[in-house]
Amino acid sequence: MSDAHSAQDWKVWFAENGARLRLIARQWTRSDADADDVLQEAFIRFWKNQRHLPGNPNALVVTSIRRSALDLYRSTDRRSHREQKVFADSDTMTWFEPEVDPRLQALTDSLPQLPNEQREVVVLKIWGDLTFDEIGEQLSISPNTAASRWRYAMEALRKLISARTYV
Amino acid sequence: MSEDYNEIESALRSLRPRSPGPSVAAGIARALQTPARPAAPKKNIILWMSSALATAACLVGVFLFSRNESNSLSPEYQLVSAEQSPAAVDILSPVELSDGSYARPVRLLWNNTTHWADAKNNTQLIDYRPAQQLALIPVETY
Repeated sequence: MSDAHSAQDWKVWFAENGARLRLIARQWTRSDADADDVLQEAFIRFWKNQRHLPGNPNALVVTSIRRSALDLYRSTDRRSHREQKVFADSDTMTWFEPEVDPRLQALTDSLPQLPNEQREVVVLKIWGDLTFDEIGEQLSISPNTAASRWRYAMEALRKLISARTYV
Repeated sequence: MSEDYNEIESALRSLRPRSPGPSVAAGIARALQTPARPAAPKKNIILWMSSALATAACLVGVFLFSRNESNSLSPEYQLVSAEQSPAAVDILSPVELSDGSYARPVRLLWNNTTHWADAKNNTQLIDYRPAQQLALIPVETY
């Protein structure tokens, strides 16, 4: 992944990173359309105002995405305070390109079944390329909690894949 | 412990997230191509103003020296140079302002050096002035 600090052309950087950023946005939004809206707003803010700030650009852009997602959530559903509602249509997700390898396809099918708090840690670590310290800052949890959720998620994915592959 | 999950982590990394729709890139292009307000960076404004003040001071000095011709024994300084060193930029930790917003203090340090010389009596006058400016750059938080 190229460094956003030195990147001059947003199109190049976005082409390289847009898919993984959209997956991150999708964790905190109700639908693919909302994820696209959040990604667009967050990326514009990041590219205009934040990409030259010191620090990990991955963390900066993830912060921008989370902020946009929370803004959208508050503006569109003030009546609901339960974060679970945000993921109401999780069963209709199209997060990944289809895979030929049945084991990888089992993984794409299994990931959405993880509890939200485990899944967002997995997504931030794998596709956000964040450390547990940075994930902890993003989610307002301790690094140990982030690491613990990661371990639970790995165990759960292992079981889900085994069940899907061998049933 | 993490070594136990290397295989599954590697498999996760090989998955290909779907790309955002073309409308996203189009929206970003529209927003980023909108001509922004031509606001000069604060650092440039500060440096430009400092440079202008230093130049003005030099011109006043030259004017005053050039007028004083009544006494042939008095020094006759001529401006040799007026220089401004590159600014050193210190980016400090963010602070919370009185309105609850956050800003990052940025301190600029530079030196103004003005040099006059009097060829008649072979004397020199050097005015060396360290200078600094503190600016606050708003930081977006959520």
